[in-house]
Amino acid sequence: MPYATHPPDERAAMLDEVGIDDPAELFDIPDAVRFTGEYGIDAHSERDARARVGSVLDESTELTEFLGGGHYDHYVPSVVDHLSLRSEFLTSYTQYQPEIAQGFLQALFEFQSLVVELTGMDVANASMYDRSTALGEAALLASRVRGADGDTVLVPDSLPERVRSVLENYTNGPGIAVERYPTTDGTADVDALESLVGDDTLLVYAATPNDYGLLEPELDAIGALAHDADALFCVGSDAVALSVLEPPATAGADIVVGDASVLGMGTTYGMGLGIFAAREEYLRQLPGRLVGASEDDSGNRAYTLTLQTREQHIRRERATSNICSNQAWVALRASIHAAWLGPRGLIDLAEECVAGVDELCARLDGVEGVTAPVYEGAHFREVAVETDAPAAVVAGRLREEGFALRTRSDGGDGAEGEDGSEDDDESDDEYLVVCVTDTNRDAVDDLADALASVSEVSE
Amino acid sequence: MSFDVPTDRRYTESHEWIAPTDGTYRVGITDFAQDELGDIVFVELPAEGTDLDEGEEYGVVESIKAVSDVYVPVSGTVAAVNEALTDAPELINDDPYGDGWLIELENVDEAAVEELLDADAYEEQTE
Repeated sequence: MPYATHPPDERAAMLDEVGIDDPAELFDIPDAVRFTGEYGIDAHSERDARARVGSVLDESTELTEFLGGGHYDHYVPSVVDHLSLRSEFLTSYTQYQPEIAQGFLQALFEFQSLVVELTGMDVANASMYDRSTALGEAALLASRVRGADGDTVLVPDSLPERVRSVLENYTNGPGIAVERYPTTDGTADVDALESLVGDDTLLVYAATPNDYGLLEPELDAIGALAHDADALFCVGSDAVALSVLEPPATAGADIVVGDASVLGMGTTYGMGLGIFAAREEYLRQLPGRLVGASEDDSGNRAYTLTLQTREQHIRRERATSNICSNQAWVALRASIHAAWLGPRGLIDLAEECVAGVDELCARLDGVEGVTAPVYEGAHFREVAVETDAPAAVVAGRLREEGFALRTRSDGGDGAEGEDGSEDDDESDDEYLVVCVTDTNRDAVDDLADALASVSEVSE
Repeated sequence: MSFDVPTDRRYTESHEWIAPTDGTYRVGITDFAQDELGDIVFVELPAEGTDLDEGEEYGVVESIKAVSDVYVPVSGTVAAVNEALTDAPELINDDPYGDGWLIELENVDEAAVEELLDADAYEEQTE
């Protein structure tokens, strides 16, 4: 997509053509809402700006991260940068015009195909912002499909606060209630869930792996409970875990949400890439962008956005979603990464996320005053670890030793100091949650040694 | 181009028709409306038993070029919906006054139907 500026003579010709002197005449912005203040931004030369930013960055402390919590670091092959940074791809312009954007549309079609293959669902959109917004859209879809029959979405009490708060943003307007069902030993308490599911249930959500890194062993039972109540069943996962897990479709999932930013992206800035896949029955209720494969008039395969009547620019307030966009470039990177690894490579990566946790637990459990794992069960990437000393204290000491770990509590009390912000009260958190992937596996021994040195209970 | 406007039913300015059928009333869109929309690819209809007020939108007809709400000509209760449209929405293009009907209404006030446009009045409007 060429970027063409308008030189002054062209601007003058255009203004002349429409018969005005100033582009401002085209806009009627009331004085009351005009910003007239100063931006307070000092101008600097590029060289100065680089020097200043560089000196600030130099003050950063290098930490070895074991954070996880929804953002996972996997090694991104250099081919992802090489291809995605090409000027044909690297643009903030929305490349959806089929006449000129066949390459990008094909990449998004490949992304959708990847998601469909991993989830076992019939259809996937071209991505959402992140897993939280995808879950919000799932709740809205359920409410459209179930009509007036229900008003409650059930989520596990282990769902991280920041995910739930986004979900509640989505459900607040339409008057949908978000209720939490209990987890026992880290995974769903199916008996307790059964007593909560009823005629008013729109959607039941379960994540695998969940926020403790535990795989949910009762997906089939949870799905059956949802369907018995005529509610939809939504499963949350991610693109790497799904490479080795049974596709959620086999557990009866109606919708699968999750994150694909585990591929093609580092953890920088917490960039997400939402997955949204569903059964074909809900095709016309799908939110967001959808790329379809068609044919041009010469009979060649050609890609185009399809079923746009679901979307806001066509249907205004009756659109399925107020998101008429997606994370196109991030989806491109995830697609390149996945294609580069191939099915076997994805499985290898996923298996490393299982073996890494086992290795970590064996090592940490051998440390005096440390229990790993807290919960029995199959883990993926992450694991809850208990220390005799308060978790927040241990995490603080480990930070001084150069390691970043998150802490959390059991669900149910809403106290989750898990987004790392400084005003969070993490003092009550019961566990460290340790995340190990291919990028920090070689630091597990160092972490264990550091933990041994800081975990003695002391005043 | 002239459109088919049967005289055995009543019409609305928003291009719906209503016709008595075995104790209930059938509702659909006119020949003019289906032609305006072009190839119809999807229809969204209300659940049976839904109570509708005159002028209320009761469904959506989607074509390859537009999405259009459809409005109920008179108040009533949905007694049946045309299930055939689920798999064959093109019936509306092929036979708008017959197999392409959308819903059946009961509890309809006959006088309200009589107040709607007759074929002549509707035809005048579409010319």
